[in-house]
Amino acid sequence: MNDMSPIKASQNSDRETGLLNLSRRRFLGVSAGALVLGVALPSGAGRALAQAAAPAIEAGTRVNAYIEIRPDSSVLFRSAFIEGGQGIFTAMAQIVGEELDVDPARFVVEAAPPGPDYLLIGGFRFTGGSMSVRMSYEKMRKLGASARLMVLQAAAARMNVPVSELTTEPGRVLHAASGRALSYGELAQQAAALAVPADAPLRAKSDFRWIGKPLARLDVRDKSTGKAQYAIDLRVDGMLHAAVQHARHLGAEPQAITNEAQVLAMPGVHSVHRLPGAVGVVADSWWRARRAAESLQVTWTAAAQGTKGAMPEDYSTERHRDGLKAMTGDGLEAEVSGDATKALAGAKTVIEATYDAPHLAHAQLEPPSALARWNEDGTLELWAPNQAPEMFQAAAAKVAGIDPSKVIIHSPLLGGFFGRHFLYASANPFPQAILLSKAVGKPIKLVWSREEEFLRDALRPMAVARFRAGLDEKGMPVALSAVAVGEGATGRWFGRQPDKVDSSAVEGIVEKLYAIPNRRVGHIHVDDPAVIGFWRSVGHSMNDFFYETFFDEMADAGKQDPYELRHRLLSESPRQQTLLEAVADLSGGWRRGPYQADDGTRRARGVAMASPFGSEVATIAEVSLRGEEAVVHQVWVAVDPGSIVNPAIVEAQINSAVAIGLSIALMEEVVYEEGVPRARNYDGYPILPPDRMPKVHVRIIESGAPMGGIGEPGVPGVPPAVVNALAVLTGKRVRSLPLSRASLTGSI
Amino acid sequence: MQLTINGQSHQVEIEPDTPLLWVLRDTLGLTGTKYGCGLAQCGACTVLIDGQATRACVTPIESVAGTEIVTIEAITGDAEGRRVVEAWVDHQVPQCGYCQSGQVMAATALLKQTPQPTEEDIAAAMINLCRCGTYNAIASAVRQAAKV
Amino acid sequence: MKRLGLFVAVVAVVGAGSAWFAIYVPRSPFDGEARPAPGPLERGEYVARLSDCVACHTTERGKPFAGGLAMGTPLGAIYTTNITPDKQTGIGNYTLADFDNAVRRGVRADGARLYPAMPHPSYAKMSDDDIRALYDYVMNHVQPVSQPNRPADIAWPLNMRWPLAFWNAAFTEPGTYQAKMAGDDLWNRGAYLVQGPGHCGSCHTPRGLAIQEVALDERDPRYLSGALLDGWYAPSLRNDHNTGLGRWTEDDIVTYLKDGRNQHGVVFGSMMEAFNNSTQYMSDTDLKGIARYLKSLPGDRTRDGEPWQYQPVAAAAPRSAGQAIYASQCATCHGADGRGRAEWIAPLAGASSLLAPDPASAINITLNGAGRVVADGVTDAYRMPSLRSKLSDQQIAEVLTYVRATWGNHAAPVTEQAVKALRAHTDPASPDPIILQMR
Repeated sequence: MNDMSPIKASQNSDRETGLLNLSRRRFLGVSAGALVLGVALPSGAGRALAQAAAPAIEAGTRVNAYIEIRPDSSVLFRSAFIEGGQGIFTAMAQIVGEELDVDPARFVVEAAPPGPDYLLIGGFRFTGGSMSVRMSYEKMRKLGASARLMVLQAAAARMNVPVSELTTEPGRVLHAASGRALSYGELAQQAAALAVPADAPLRAKSDFRWIGKPLARLDVRDKSTGKAQYAIDLRVDGMLHAAVQHARHLGAEPQAITNEAQVLAMPGVHSVHRLPGAVGVVADSWWRARRAAESLQVTWTAAAQGTKGAMPEDYSTERHRDGLKAMTGDGLEAEVSGDATKALAGAKTVIEATYDAPHLAHAQLEPPSALARWNEDGTLELWAPNQAPEMFQAAAAKVAGIDPSKVIIHSPLLGGFFGRHFLYASANPFPQAILLSKAVGKPIKLVWSREEEFLRDALRPMAVARFRAGLDEKGMPVALSAVAVGEGATGRWFGRQPDKVDSSAVEGIVEKLYAIPNRRVGHIHVDDPAVIGFWRSVGHSMNDFFYETFFDEMADAGKQDPYELRHRLLSESPRQQTLLEAVADLSGGWRRGPYQADDGTRRARGVAMASPFGSEVATIAEVSLRGEEAVVHQVWVAVDPGSIVNPAIVEAQINSAVAIGLSIALMEEVVYEEGVPRARNYDGYPILPPDRMPKVHVRIIESGAPMGGIGEPGVPGVPPAVVNALAVLTGKRVRSLPLSRASLTGSI
Repeated sequence: MQLTINGQSHQVEIEPDTPLLWVLRDTLGLTGTKYGCGLAQCGACTVLIDGQATRACVTPIESVAGTEIVTIEAITGDAEGRRVVEAWVDHQVPQCGYCQSGQVMAATALLKQTPQPTEEDIAAAMINLCRCGTYNAIASAVRQAAKV
Repeated sequence: MKRLGLFVAVVAVVGAGSAWFAIYVPRSPFDGEARPAPGPLERGEYVARLSDCVACHTTERGKPFAGGLAMGTPLGAIYTTNITPDKQTGIGNYTLADFDNAVRRGVRADGARLYPAMPHPSYAKMSDDDIRALYDYVMNHVQPVSQPNRPADIAWPLNMRWPLAFWNAAFTEPGTYQAKMAGDDLWNRGAYLVQGPGHCGSCHTPRGLAIQEVALDERDPRYLSGALLDGWYAPSLRNDHNTGLGRWTEDDIVTYLKDGRNQHGVVFGSMMEAFNNSTQYMSDTDLKGIARYLKSLPGDRTRDGEPWQYQPVAAAAPRSAGQAIYASQCATCHGADGRGRAEWIAPLAGASSLLAPDPASAINITLNGAGRVVADGVTDAYRMPSLRSKLSDQQIAEVLTYVRATWGNHAAPVTEQAVKALRAHTDPASPDPIILQMR
């Protein structure tokens, strides 16, 4: 696990950019039909998949791989996607149930094992990029419809009538002519033996009973009564517990343990182990293992000169930020339209500003864990929180030194993920669990303490953006030049081509729809010294803040209302203009303020637009100041994901996105000093507490555009909407997040 | 050491400073109570001790001998607990769900002590963290559960 | 960075005087003594533990005794020195007499005076045997480390050391500890440890204008009566009912110094460091001696105030802002009744740090949390989190004002300004256990 080289680009990397296109809006337009992702998987996984794919199974078509109808006519459904709070299990039940004609409430959904049937994301499989529903919707409908037809065929055979005389009602097949009926459960076995029909008819949208309705989630009762089981809760016979202490600096290795004998004598301690970049303790309970691991007095070797990915012992986030801000030049071209340089030169007014955003931790509430068991038949069984079972399978096989086919991966419910559970070398505990289990010959459940998690999480990259804008004599923007500086997570993990811009570094600055005639967006790559990863809404999480806040600076410089200016510049983009009007309407009509609210507070509002993950979002935030603290009272979000499956889940996801978006605007930042994160628990890395949660109002617009994502799109608009509102109150522009670092006094 | 958990008596032999959380999770297999931070920051480990919401991760086992400990596993055996759970289901509160055992326990403790809580009471009692941001749904559910 | 008071005042004591006096090397009983043969490791190592040399002469991740720890002074940082037997950068060329002069008299081999960050006024009381053992330990059992000393960040002319000679003359008492007939052997052993190697007065005795400790033994009622140092208020170690050890038994004191905790509280702040590196290594007899001696120091009712008695919170008490913060942020660990949890989580009711006139310790630990207590090699199960990013200065002032006025506590309110000042120049405690290695 100390192998920190990025996952090598495989032969699949010759698409478009060679990058995993997690988030670009362009994605659907370009390649939805072909389901092509330029995703580059680890060569190991590539091989495993190639093996598995040998019988030429078309993913998402084999009914039996997904659907098991049980004798009571309930359905066990194996989902290609992992449930981590986004509601995907319920959405799958709605989509499949609609076509299968089984009430989604009668579904039991679990994560599918690895296998070619589940590679629904362009020939690969992961849960992320807000892709699950939009990438599988048609296939899952078809799957449900095929399954229904198989049940009908089985019934036809059983009743000895033609299929055409049969109809279904939820869970039953009816023969109206004879009044006979058979339950799905009675037909399941026979139906499962049939070939999957090629041309099962789909239900007309107008007849939908469940798709598009606010159905109750399937997992809510279990999650409200403590019955839901996460990886950290699992237990197998004969299992021992393990905890680790990591090297403070990634890349260092354990040398001497000065008190090993003393620690071995602690109650319940089974053994002490040296692991790559860590020491581990196995004990009869996690608490005992953890105390022992924390008590180990270890001297660490410094990382050898040139160790790839090693954390520099003098790494300071403050210095890195200064370094990014000091970068000059225009960078690689990411987007161009017209001639920005020329237009800037001829502009009446030119404004410029530099923005920055910090590293962020995922801070999901479930600490990472892994349970590993070596079975007698030579297989390795692994329970681990993950967003990509096949990738974990391949990586686990490599650690274990066995063929991927011998690794059985279980994908439990995720106690939050937000991008945390992708395969990040050094940030996943499963390799340690495998090694420890092998060493002690027993199943091992390894849990990272919260402190170890804050030490080894993969962070949202730190980023800087420099803007210059030119306005004409009427105050209208005629030129915009933006240079994003930093590193994208996609490039880090899926191979970066030096002559190409990593889309994850610039998304949110490119492809903005405002009609500014001359635009250039550039990117300057600077290696991020930290282990970086995907963080909810990826590049959009900072870039929309940069762009949309600078947009208000342009508006102010041109003496324009920022809402009106957006509206005007979107006149050629009716979908977005409609959405902007919708959010204004939802908030009772646009008013920037400042104004006095009923409770006597002085408030203002800010607006922001974003186009992330195939969806369109418009956000308005209402803010006041209490002392030096920004108080966000209400947030209005209008979202257009094209079409949706469950409006209640959409609304919950938008609430969630507002919470995390506000959290990063107000208080989140990972600070490194001397190569070590200063915060190792929530006391030093606060996340949004309940008393700072605003009221959230959501309006969903189904424009009929291709289906977009939902889990992430609500995030990016929140920080700029809040910061834009604050600027109205204080007369000052905050260009660096989080706001807890800024001085918010001095109102106008 | 004699512990009373969910009405059942348990004998455990363990270091006296062991947090209750790990006795519940590892010794007794009651994993509905979650580990989030171990530092009384998040509240995922909230249980009831003599009816009071208590964070099990910072509760030395020695200090709870002789008390009545109630965990999420017994929540539906409690009148307020049942109301809270039904409100949680009605309001579709959980997302990832990891913090919700603790949230439900905190709400139950609130209603036991303050059957008719004000908004301030709710804000003061419902302080557990939720990374999914279910706070508004939680507040609505508590309000519903408080209406008898 | 450790801070040690106002060196600026040192300059004030400089009068006219002879340069000879300022640089002469004093006599040592060991003058002319040949370098002794190596003795047993344990003997000298124990004296080093008693004296807690490692606390200042070893950095968090540095080599044992190689120095380099920054100590803040108002004039600029000074850095502790390399006391390994390295001949070039350490003290490898020191004779026993040189060593003695440095430790007990604050004079370097070249005649330069040490800053009184080195507690030589206390070490002056150490016995010849202990000095000899310590010398043996440092010269024969510590690994030489080549690490040049870092010059102090103090600019000329304040960096001149010769005025310190006058400071020494004014504020130190020559002579080793002499047993007193009034006490038994245990008491005398305790008095020796407290006054001499243990240098308890460095933190617990108030300092005068020239930052000298105002008293060096029990003859003065101000001795160990509590003092502010480095952002922490070291409470009275006298029999003061509220702010001292009046409610502690001798066994309580022994337990505290041996285990780092007892029913009255858990070590924190600078005391956590003294415990981690020094007191827990002391023998039971020595700890009993310390307890016996400390319990013999009378309290001062006038200074200490009305004796604290537990008072439950009135059920109908109006809810103050501070009480609400306490309920949400503190009560889950320390209890709504303020009594803590057994010996594992400190009670706030009756805690000396909350009854003390100076709220620095209470503010400091609230802002920054507690560092890790490592007892007998095992890291603590519970630690105080840092609340600096959760609570504003005003909120911390409110909650501490509540805590200092509840359950019978009756100390003065805490101001927002006091919190703000401490916030500005302190950092959160490290969540990692910090073990200063001696081998």
